[in-house]
Amino acid sequence: MSESQVLIKAPTIEVQGVSKWFGSVVAVNDVTFQVRPGITGLLGPNGAGKSTILHMIAGKASTSEGEVTVLGQPARNNPDLYRDIGVMSEHEAVYGFYTGREFVEFTARLHGLSPTKGPVDRAISLVGLEDAQHRKLGDYSRGMRQRMRLAAALVHDPQVLVLDEPLNGTDPRQRLDFHDAMTRYAEQGRTVLISSHILEEVETLASTILLMVSGKLAAAGDFRAIREKLDEQAYRVRVVTDSPRRMAAALAGTDDIDSVSIGEDGELTVLSRNVTSLQRAIPRLAKEQNIRLKRVETLDDSLESIFSYVVDR
Amino acid sequence: MRAVFGLSIRQLTGRWRISLILLLAALPVGLAVIINIAASGDATFNRDFTNILLDGLLVAGILPIVTMALATSSFSNELEDKTLGYLTLMPLARWRIVLPKVLASLIICGPLLVISGVVATLFGFDGEVRPAVAVAVSLGAGVLAYAAIFTWLGLVTTRALPIALIYVLLWEGVISTFMSGVDYLSVRGYSLAIMSGLDRPSFPALEERVIELPVAIGGAAAVTVVFLWLGVRRLRRMDVP
Repeated sequence: MSESQVLIKAPTIEVQGVSKWFGSVVAVNDVTFQVRPGITGLLGPNGAGKSTILHMIAGKASTSEGEVTVLGQPARNNPDLYRDIGVMSEHEAVYGFYTGREFVEFTARLHGLSPTKGPVDRAISLVGLEDAQHRKLGDYSRGMRQRMRLAAALVHDPQVLVLDEPLNGTDPRQRLDFHDAMTRYAEQGRTVLISSHILEEVETLASTILLMVSGKLAAAGDFRAIREKLDEQAYRVRVVTDSPRRMAAALAGTDDIDSVSIGEDGELTVLSRNVTSLQRAIPRLAKEQNIRLKRVETLDDSLESIFSYVVDR
Repeated sequence: MRAVFGLSIRQLTGRWRISLILLLAALPVGLAVIINIAASGDATFNRDFTNILLDGLLVAGILPIVTMALATSSFSNELEDKTLGYLTLMPLARWRIVLPKVLASLIICGPLLVISGVVATLFGFDGEVRPAVAVAVSLGAGVLAYAAIFTWLGLVTTRALPIALIYVLLWEGVISTFMSGVDYLSVRGYSLAIMSGLDRPSFPALEERVIELPVAIGGAAAVTVVFLWLGVRRLRRMDVP
C-alpha cells in the first residue's frame, strides 16, 4: 500500500473522551470515535446529543471534557481550519434579504475565494438550483433553502463536510439528488459526516454509522453488521381483533412467532424475529379464521426502540 | 472584513430603524431653531443651550439611544435568528467579525448624529464653525465608544436593549449628573470633556464640570479598545447556537 493510500484512510475527525454538559444536564457523555474519508451517518433519536457533537466537531461549542480534532488540528478556536471544513447546521435560518446566489457568493468571499464566479456556479449547479439562484432566500421553500445552504457549505470545496439533518424538508427527488451529490463527493476521498434521526434516510447513503442514544455512543461501525445484530432482536407487534383468543391460538401455531400474549384489554402482543413473515402471517390467518382485524401496529418501529436494543445488549 | 461589514450595514438599515434614527437626529435641529428664535437674546442663552440641548438632549439622550438601538442588535439579532453560526464557521479571526459590526454602527449613526449636532450648534452659535467642530468630534468619539459597548452587550445577553437602556438612563443620565467623579468612567463625561476641551470659550457652562481633555480622549479610546477586546473574547469563548 502506498503512502498516499495510507494517508487517505487516516481518520479525519477524532473525538476523544468528549463530554458536554449544560449545568446539571449531560448532553454528551464520554464519547470516543473516529471518522474516516467516505460517508458516515451519525444516527440517534431527537435529543441524543447528535447536534451537540456536531457543534463540537465544527468548533462552534467547547467540550466540557475531552478533545476534538479535525484533520489533525483542534476544532475549537481555529478559524483557519474552516478553509477545509464545510458545515451545514440544523437551523434553517438564512439571511432572507440575500438571493440564493448572493448568499453563496457571500460565503465564498468570506472563504477568501477570488474570483468567486467559478466556485459559486459549481456549488449551485451541484445542488441543482441554477434556475432559482436569483430569487431571495426568504422566498424559497424549505427544501430549496436547505439545498442552497448546502451549496454555501460546498463552495470552498472542503475536505470535510459536516451536515446536521441536511434532509429536513426535502422531497424524495431532492433526496436522490442529494444522495448522488454526496456519493460523488465522498468518492473523491473526502469525508462526509451526516446526522439524522431517521434511519432509512442514512442507511442507503452511509456505509459506516455512529449510533448515539442519551448522549452516549451506543454503537459504531459498518451499517450492515449493526443492522444484522439488530435483526437478532425480536420485534413486537400489537394486534387488535374482534376475536383475540382465536387469533392468539392461530398465531401460536405459526413457525416464526416467538410468543403471543393477550392483555387485559384483549389486545395481542406478538413477538417475532422475522418481521416479513409476521407481516404476511397476520392477514392470512385472519382471513382463514374469519377474524376481523381492527388494528395492526409495530411497537418497535421507532429509531428510539431500535437503539434501545443496542444499548440494552 | 468588507463582506461582514456589508452584511452588517444591510442588517442594520431596516426601514423602521432608520426612520427612528432620522426622527431622533432631527429633534435637536428642530429644537435649536425654535430656541434660537425664541430666546437668542437672553443672557442665559449660551448656558441653557449647552446644558439643555447639547448635553441633556444630544449627548446624554439621543447619542446613546440611537447608538444603542443599532449596536445592540448587531449581534443579538444574529443570535436570536441563529445566523451567527454562518460567520463563526468562516476562516475569519474573531476580531474580523466584531470590528466590522462596530464600524457598521459607527458608519450609520456617526454621520447622522454629527450632522444633527453640527447643524443644531450652527443655529445656536450664530454660524460659528469652531463650536460646531468641537460638537462633531465629541459626538464622533461618543458614537465609537458606545458602539463598542453596546455591540459587546449584544453578544453577552439576549436582553441587551433593556439592559443598555437602564445603563444609559441610570449611569450616563442620572448618576453621572449628580456624581462628578463618575465622569471619569462615563462616555457622556468623555464627550462633554472633548467638546469643552476643543473650544473652551464657546462652552463656559461645561468648564466647571468636565474632566481634562487628555483624560477624556484616553478614556474614550480605552473604552472602545476594551469593549472591542471583550467582544472578540466573548465570541471566541461562547457556544454559538
